[in-house]
Amino acid sequence: MPLVVLLCGVLVLYPIGFLINESLNVGDPSTFPPEQYGFDNYTNLIDDAHILGNTALVASIATVLAVLFGFLQAWILTRTNIPGRQRLERLMELPYYMTPLIGALAWGVLLGPKTGLVNQAWRALGSPVDLFNIYSPYGIAWVMALFEGTIAFVMISASMKSMDPSLEESSRVLGAGKLRTALRITLPLVAPGVLSATIFVFAEMLGSFAAAFVLGIPGRFYVVTTAIWEATLSFPPDYGRAAAMGLSLFGVMLITLTLARLVLRHGTYTTITGKGFRPREMDVGRMRWPLLGIAWGYIIVAVILPLGALMLTSFERFATVILPQMHFTLANYQTALQMGSVGPAFVNSLTLGISVATIGVPVMGVLAWIIYRSRMPGRGVAEYVIMFPQAVPRLVFGLGLLWAWINLPIPIYGTLWLLALAYFTVFLPLGLRTIAGVVLQVDPSLEECARVCGAPWIYQMRTVTLPLLRPGMVAAWLLIFIASVRELGVSIFLMGPNSKVIAPAIVNSWLSSSSELSAAMALIQTATIFVAVAILFGLARRVTGVTQ
Amino acid sequence: MNQPRIEVTDLVVRYGDVTAVDGIGFDIAPGELVTLLGPSGCGKTTTLRAVAGLETPSSGSIRLNGQTVFGAAERRNVPAEKRGVSMVFQSYAIWPHMTVFDNVAYGLRVRKLPQAEVRQNVARVLGLVQMQDYADRPASKLSGGQQQRVAVARAIAFSPNVLLFDEPLSNLDAKLRAEMRVELRELQRRLDITSLYVTHDQEEALAISERVNVMNGGRIEQIGSPEEIYNRPRSRFVADFVGSANLIKGQIRGPAEAGGTLIFEAEGGIRLEVIALDASRGDHDTVALRSSYIHLGHVPGSRNAVPGRIHRRMFHGDFIQYVVDWPAGQLIVRRPPTELFDEGSEVTVSFAPVHCVLL
Repeated sequence: MPLVVLLCGVLVLYPIGFLINESLNVGDPSTFPPEQYGFDNYTNLIDDAHILGNTALVASIATVLAVLFGFLQAWILTRTNIPGRQRLERLMELPYYMTPLIGALAWGVLLGPKTGLVNQAWRALGSPVDLFNIYSPYGIAWVMALFEGTIAFVMISASMKSMDPSLEESSRVLGAGKLRTALRITLPLVAPGVLSATIFVFAEMLGSFAAAFVLGIPGRFYVVTTAIWEATLSFPPDYGRAAAMGLSLFGVMLITLTLARLVLRHGTYTTITGKGFRPREMDVGRMRWPLLGIAWGYIIVAVILPLGALMLTSFERFATVILPQMHFTLANYQTALQMGSVGPAFVNSLTLGISVATIGVPVMGVLAWIIYRSRMPGRGVAEYVIMFPQAVPRLVFGLGLLWAWINLPIPIYGTLWLLALAYFTVFLPLGLRTIAGVVLQVDPSLEECARVCGAPWIYQMRTVTLPLLRPGMVAAWLLIFIASVRELGVSIFLMGPNSKVIAPAIVNSWLSSSSELSAAMALIQTATIFVAVAILFGLARRVTGVTQ
Repeated sequence: MNQPRIEVTDLVVRYGDVTAVDGIGFDIAPGELVTLLGPSGCGKTTTLRAVAGLETPSSGSIRLNGQTVFGAAERRNVPAEKRGVSMVFQSYAIWPHMTVFDNVAYGLRVRKLPQAEVRQNVARVLGLVQMQDYADRPASKLSGGQQQRVAVARAIAFSPNVLLFDEPLSNLDAKLRAEMRVELRELQRRLDITSLYVTHDQEEALAISERVNVMNGGRIEQIGSPEEIYNRPRSRFVADFVGSANLIKGQIRGPAEAGGTLIFEAEGGIRLEVIALDASRGDHDTVALRSSYIHLGHVPGSRNAVPGRIHRRMFHGDFIQYVVDWPAGQLIVRRPPTELFDEGSEVTVSFAPVHCVLL
């Protein structure tokens, strides 16, 4: 068993070690091991100041937008009495499952210069210029806010929900009015939650890749993540520069995330507990209709409009909203499923998703049990190491994996084996956290009782532990499947000509061929994910229904 | 043949720097029920878990049926599943993914008993705890009291010769707890099963045990029958923790004229006749006096009689608790609800020397 832990630790630390090594390589970038060490790659980053500026600009705008949307939505959905709140709350999860990649494609289809559906309509109405160009820093920030900012909503609404309503009630009882209570009690209590969400979202935005890639590359607008990708494609590939940028980005994100955690731990008042309260709903009177409009407005721009645009485009020969020019066809779907390279990409992605989840989950189950149940020495360190990939931006980790495995004598570079290994490594934290949630819920005396009854370890695992962990393992399986099917940051570095997977294939098709085909592919991917999510929720409902 | 079923010798359990159990030892005879009583954190549950094999002690030894199952000296540690003990857990530990039948049959199936025998034994023990009608129920659909019964049935199903109870009644409401206490005691007597029982409820410990083992800070304060523990506490801790006692400060002034008692001068200058126990561990500056053994009014033969005044009266139902001002401060007195005194009335407080235990 300790061997499993050790192996997983190596899988995580090995690429990181390579990344650090490479970032200090100032000799010929394609030799290994490096002939010369130095800090030039880091000092040269000053030349890339405009890229850092771009990154800061996009991340700041996106953060402000995401927190604004998140706060408004969280307040409307948790604290007011607008109709249909529960359904809206569930719909709020959809943008997250759609992924920033699909969101960026959809908004590119909607507001791309000249060809974007909305811009077409705008010009058809007589305007000589576009309504809005999404291929701009503001466009990128907008898409990032919509599709990566849902975490702000989740965090802020959690802090609003966990607030004891009696804190506000006592203010009202002591004679303060609604407004005074909101300003003097409610706002200070949720402020730490909002602040930590803001910092957290900012860190996420710094490491975000898909939107900046899809909408930034056509206009040659680079942020750090896309610049890293560019550096590895240049000839000769500048791995040193890419590694230095990646590690610096990782450093900044780590500092920011630590800050967010500090704010949350020290700034939160102890009166906000983990207990689930039923928050007091405010009667907003006639304001409920405008507020309902805002809530649905968000769903429309983040889900309905993008999916609608993709759907319309995917069935057309040429993307257009001008009625007489419309030619409907199924050809895009046919191409998507048949074409020389794209069809296999779907098959590869599904194969990877199923096999990584199927093989990975039992391993992660054992890891979770060792780390959270056993008394193995050093399990704290093991947890830290295995959770590490979660702190590294996916793209940066992908770079480390690329460099690490390219230099290994085992010939798995460019094969699905490498992708499977890489997926397993980066999804370790996801699987571990999901299963750990269940492991921690299982009362240790359930296992102890089996042993006292005379059951040896294996028998106890088979009859008591594993059956009790089943809901967590199934959830972990589906989550890893979903994550595999949508994976972009690592795959874009590691896929080879014979091992294409879906997300990078969609990106390539978008950059090189038609938006109509890309839309069809994006919809197939989204549909796959939605089906998996639907199974996940159905299962969750059945499992919780049985245990209660 | 009267070899003890459980022998614990010089047991020490440490977690890092914390010593949870600090060198304790006791024996349990076949068929006996012994409780470990103490406040939370006194090491009683740790001791029980060490006997079960769920904690690894740092030193000492544990013998079950004459066999060493843990011996620090001979580096012997028999795993829990090979010790042949059984245990009822505080949380019941009923497996929610099995039926009542499967839960109870677990220990029998582990031992690879034939199907017919398993069925017969499960039926027998479910009958003993009056759960025979619930065999096919999913275990997750049971009330707290029912889970408790299933947990007991499961623990006795494979006829273990030692049964361990870890605060089995603490999750039940007061009324059910009192009923289950009687039932558990009945069952234990009927099956003649050697039992070690952990509780923090002194009333429960006194009611069900042959012997009580009072623990504090990882050590044993006193071992004795419930009556001994109650009437002859050997330390301040035992007097205070078990039952309701008044602790009166003062000094010994020498032997009394007759009856082997001592003269004790309490604060406020009053002189009391008290008894001293041989093994008293205290500094001989405190006397413990149970609040139920104090009379309000002069009782012939009580030898100690001091004037007092009712300060406060609290009606508890089964008794009335008085706070009485007397020369040495305040006394807590419990009387049956038939003995009513008004607040402020003058009374004579009287009690026998045998109930004044010098600590």
